[in-house]
Amino acid sequence: MKPLNLIALLLFLAGAAWALTRSDRSVREIQAGYYRAISPFLKAGSAMETRARSFLDEVHHSKELEIEARAQQDEIGRLRLIESRFRELESENANLRHALNFAKATKFEVVTARITRRQPTTWWQTVEIDRGENAKIGTQLPVLCNEGLVGQIDQTRPDRATVILLTDEKCQVSAKVEGTPEVGIVSGQRAFDGPPMLRLRFLTKDTAVKKGQRVFTTGRGGLFPANLLLGTVESVEKGSLDSEALVRPSVNFADLDTVFVALTAGE
Amino acid sequence: MIRYTLTTLFLLLAAFVVQQFLPAFTGLDNARVLIVQLVFLCAAVTVGTPTMLLLAFVGGLLWDAQCTLGPQGGTPEIYSQPVESLRFGYSVLLFGAMGFLMQGIQPLFRQGKWQFSALLSGIAVFLYLSAEYALINFVRGDFVLTHGIIRRIALTSLLTMLFSPLVFWLLFRVANACRHTIRFDGIKRHRRQQRYS
Repeated sequence: MKPLNLIALLLFLAGAAWALTRSDRSVREIQAGYYRAISPFLKAGSAMETRARSFLDEVHHSKELEIEARAQQDEIGRLRLIESRFRELESENANLRHALNFAKATKFEVVTARITRRQPTTWWQTVEIDRGENAKIGTQLPVLCNEGLVGQIDQTRPDRATVILLTDEKCQVSAKVEGTPEVGIVSGQRAFDGPPMLRLRFLTKDTAVKKGQRVFTTGRGGLFPANLLLGTVESVEKGSLDSEALVRPSVNFADLDTVFVALTAGE
Repeated sequence: MIRYTLTTLFLLLAAFVVQQFLPAFTGLDNARVLIVQLVFLCAAVTVGTPTMLLLAFVGGLLWDAQCTLGPQGGTPEIYSQPVESLRFGYSVLLFGAMGFLMQGIQPLFRQGKWQFSALLSGIAVFLYLSAEYALINFVRGDFVLTHGIIRRIALTSLLTMLFSPLVFWLLFRVANACRHTIRFDGIKRHRRQQRYS
């Protein structure tokens, strides 16, 4: 081997060793720097994409869009009414809690976000949303939709955030099965053929969990609020030490468009 | 030489931006075109070992910056068995290994037979993804391999390989613009033929 190549190889190995020994914090700093550097391109690209999409939508569905917009405006009006009623109830609830000397006030603020990119990486089940630190979104916050829990915030940037979906193996959620004292950990599967399913692990050996029972978050573990729907038990496999259930997620991940980021985590 | 090296580095950085806009084909088992890996592999066969290693380091480091997931968090009493992730920086080694693989057929490439390199870029992407998936299984335990995963790896390699002639064409244009020779033998043979005729 030529001396120059040998020196290059040694420097390369030293660089690889440096990269492999970075702490989580410095990895986050490197990632933040990387996304800061490419954010102008991403902004320009997504603006172009939005313009192109809206142009195409306008051309193809102008009539449909008009009807849809009218329906949505009606819906917004209806939701505003509900929200004002909700705020009223919330403030009434807070007052009552205050009157009862409740030490802890519950707060459940959410930020609405649109999914801008699906599956940006090869192996991880993630999506990107169009809200980030500017909307007070931080890492590890729960992400929800009408049907239940969607996942958890992984990375944040000023105007973007990455959500690790419930169907990813790395997203673990403390869960309970309705009508039983069973608790376990729900997570995605590493690989699957067909629609994604969840695994509910660490159930008792002789579990009484049956097909069709619903699975909810326990609220324990400091990550997710309690009583969020995760899915429905599809099958149960009993083992020698513990049991495991296959859970069909309540959320249709292929059809997700708008999600809500809860600005507070679990207990 | 320096100008060509800097240009390939710039091309690699540009590939990272382009990669952001390349979606996964959900109908094809989430297969995608890995433009970053492709630009690196094609560039690796046109440069010397030190430059290839520089590109591998930059490519691997930025790829991990783009893809690494953070810790899940939560109280350890509840989440007592966190799912392990690949360490940040592993791609640097994978990129390096793939770069050496591409350099293995550099003599053929220098004879002007870029088709072999194009084919090898597909094989290298296949090996890269297989190694990456094997590493994930290794750190997390339980080797899980489904037909979907095999199809995803194979289709991603195939889709990526289809774009390699375009990247080689771009690299030849860049080399011409930088007055850098990347096909020594082909040019020598061509000049020899010209001299004899």
